[in-house]
Amino acid sequence: MADRHELRDEELASLCQQGERQCFEILVRRYMEKAFHIAFNFTRDVESAKDLSQEAFLRAFANIKQFDGRSTFYTWFYRIVVNLCLDHARRQNRVAWESLDGAGDETSEQKQWADSTFLPEEEAIAGEAKRRADRTLEAMPNKQRTAFLLRNHQGLSIADIARVMKTTEGTVRVYLHRAVAALRQSLMEFV
Amino acid sequence: MERVVLPNACKNFEEDLVLYYYGECDPAEQGRVREHLAACASCRGFLGDLRRWLPRIAQAAPLAPAFWENYYRETMAKLERRGEEKQPWWRFGFALRPMWMVPAFGTVGVMLLVVGLLFGKGNLSSFMQRPAANIPREILADENQLQFFESMDLLEALSRLEKQDDSNGETTTLQPSRAPAQQEMV
Repeated sequence: MADRHELRDEELASLCQQGERQCFEILVRRYMEKAFHIAFNFTRDVESAKDLSQEAFLRAFANIKQFDGRSTFYTWFYRIVVNLCLDHARRQNRVAWESLDGAGDETSEQKQWADSTFLPEEEAIAGEAKRRADRTLEAMPNKQRTAFLLRNHQGLSIADIARVMKTTEGTVRVYLHRAVAALRQSLMEFV
Repeated sequence: MERVVLPNACKNFEEDLVLYYYGECDPAEQGRVREHLAACASCRGFLGDLRRWLPRIAQAAPLAPAFWENYYRETMAKLERRGEEKQPWWRFGFALRPMWMVPAFGTVGVMLLVVGLLFGKGNLSSFMQRPAANIPREILADENQLQFFESMDLLEALSRLEKQDDSNGETTTLQPSRAPAQQEMV
């Protein structure tokens, strides 16, 4: 089992397809934080983010035989996460984008997270900047927001984002530029 | 906190600067952007803004290890439950029993079937024999012929009623075909 941890994602996925469930457990460990953070960026709620990202793992496992290795495992998996998040956003009709440290009904888990986000001297600046950024992200079209979150928060390349979103790299570039321009506009007077 | 108005980037460089920041420019574009940056203070300011704010927006605080352990355990438990839900009920039933019990259950089932057939119907041979084979051919009436005789019976009864109407002038009720015959006998 120890050497399995050294395997690439695609090798682990291939072993999962042959029925080795332990390999999927390694993939869960490898991607749980990323999956959770994507979902959190969409939902702004710890419980919803947990449920959505866990559901993404369940679906990935159920459909692991459909992974054909033409894309990397993480682009395939990110597509599942993003689609679930977008479905969730559509169902909710709106995304609760309350700032972590500004919401009145936040859970203690959220509060703990918010409190530990920034160093004390940066907290005031960071709080206001995050509120503004969150409001701007909330107002953004879903695809622009998705492209921005995947690039800025998850570090995916534009080529990978295009694969995840099933669009062209040119379109992703446009989404990204518009998202950054809008965010910069909202933070422009604020230093 | 202080408020300042930051300069905009040159319009035809803004998108390139965003891509440059994310390292998504090809080498030719990179060279062009660097050259422009060396000469344009506004674009340098724009790029500085991106470097300053974008990582901060993305910053996510690390959650406690206990959170992730719990997350992992929950995911695995859900995976387990989902796997069980998808199993057919009969497989779940067999999963509870050792494999040697499967042929044993099969044998018992067959034996019960045989005993049921032997004692439930008197004996197996009577159950297997077709009852129609013992009935004489003369008695086995064709269904179509029976329907024909029944309709003839009805017509006969109607004509008798009409005759009675003519002779008595009384109103009578329609009765089954056997009723007039019984009256005649009386």
